[in-house]
Amino acid sequence: MPMTNRQIVKYLRVWFKLATLAFKIDLSNRFTAVFAITGKAVRFLFFLGFLFLLVGRTKTLAGFNLSQVVFFFLTFNLVDILIQFFLRGVYHFRGQIVSGDFDLVLVKPINPLFRSLSERIDVYDLMTLIVLIIYMIIFLSTGQITITLGGVVLYLLLIISSFIIGLAFHIGVMAVGILTTEVDNVIMIYRDLSAMGRVPIDIYQEPLRTFLTIIVPIAVLMTFPAKALMGLLSWPWVVFSFVISGVFLFGSLRFWKYALTQYSSASS
Amino acid sequence: MKKYWSVLKITFQEYFVYRLNFILWRFRSFVQLLVLYFLWSAVLPQGTVIFGYDQAKILTYILGTSIIRSFILASRSVDVAGEIGSGDLSNFLLRPISYLKYWFVKDIADKVLNLIFSTIEVSLIFILLRPPIIVQTNPAILFYTLIAIILGIVLYFYLSFLLSLIAFWTPENVWPPRFLAMVIIEFFAGSLFPLDILPAGIFNALRLLPFTYLLFFPLNIYLGKLTVGEIFPGLLISLFWIIVFYQLAKTLFKLGLRNYAAWGR
Repeated sequence: MPMTNRQIVKYLRVWFKLATLAFKIDLSNRFTAVFAITGKAVRFLFFLGFLFLLVGRTKTLAGFNLSQVVFFFLTFNLVDILIQFFLRGVYHFRGQIVSGDFDLVLVKPINPLFRSLSERIDVYDLMTLIVLIIYMIIFLSTGQITITLGGVVLYLLLIISSFIIGLAFHIGVMAVGILTTEVDNVIMIYRDLSAMGRVPIDIYQEPLRTFLTIIVPIAVLMTFPAKALMGLLSWPWVVFSFVISGVFLFGSLRFWKYALTQYSSASS
Repeated sequence: MKKYWSVLKITFQEYFVYRLNFILWRFRSFVQLLVLYFLWSAVLPQGTVIFGYDQAKILTYILGTSIIRSFILASRSVDVAGEIGSGDLSNFLLRPISYLKYWFVKDIADKVLNLIFSTIEVSLIFILLRPPIIVQTNPAILFYTLIAIILGIVLYFYLSFLLSLIAFWTPENVWPPRFLAMVIIEFFAGSLFPLDILPAGIFNALRLLPFTYLLFFPLNIYLGKLTVGEIFPGLLISLFWIIVFYQLAKTLFKLGLRNYAAWGR
């Protein structure tokens, strides 16, 4: 059943309330904030430095030049941080399941999936996201990559499509959590696989490339948006991206609904 | 000694309580190995040489660091911070047991399990993908590699223990400093790439720091890139840092206890 305007406003208000609370917690200790943000920045800079070192020497990586490789990495970070920012609640989900606290979520007049995914919104991710977007704008404005308005629009649409696939993975992981009480390792497997998208998927050989495009669509998630912006993605793949994100979301929601029927309210 | 043997046995049993968790943990390690293998196979195709590394050398380095990383850079002493923060440390202070030794024994259990399963996982990769890996057969080199690994394990144990002691002063904020420290440690230990591809000045400076001796140094010995004249100074620097971190851990633990208020008890 589609949501009414009133419901959308209600959910937005709940999300902002949860975000405000999470931000207050995160920023209550500046010591923590400084270390967390520095850690994220240093990790980003280390890998970026590695790419400069490597591609600076090899000149190209799977036919892509240094600027293109850097842009693939920036897009990977954009998608990854966006997903982390909105869906970090998954990392706290196991605690709810094993303690039985998920019961309290189920009885509230709000969608339990939305509530669980929004459980924890990370202010540090928001800060790194803002810095990253500024860096991306500066990077693109230098003209190292030729872009068009159509390419930018397509890029943004494909980023949304990537987010939907990421959302589908996270819903699937939470469903597994309900069925097995195991979340942490499953989500980290997703993160390890998605890390393959730090470089363009084109560098991998077959059948791995097909596996990363269709079965676990890391290519759609991380590589396709950047390729679209650079005008390197053909239309059938653009259509494929939107279709597969829809299929994944539909499948994950069905799986979630099934998992809910199996919830046994342990420990409560 | 008997009590530490019991700690070892209990730690083993703990791992197998949540079997699915254990299986997924190992599956994740396997996936991590595969990810690194495919990434580097793609970056460095057969026949190419970059920074003095051909595909066989780089794959041996990357797979090798992944394996030794799983038991050098894996430490249960991460949980020390939680015990300090929750006040559970009090239970240990009342018992006739050395807290440092207790965690070191727990670490050993963790590393033994990692070693066994990493060996199985790498064997699987070897059987399935037949990567061009350098198999070192020189017993002297293997011996020096083993010594370097053991020193790396002890070095990281004290380093990780030290990081957990932050909880004495700021029990609710242990994760961010550890996260930042781990990013730096892993990078400068050489988990992403061999450190000798860095400019010579930076690399020489790194050799004086402790991190290099966790992964890069043992792997470099294994690959036969170091002479005995280069190995011994490395082992001595490693030992020096172990002594420094051991003394620091002991001193900070004592200082921390003065600050400890047994929160939650």
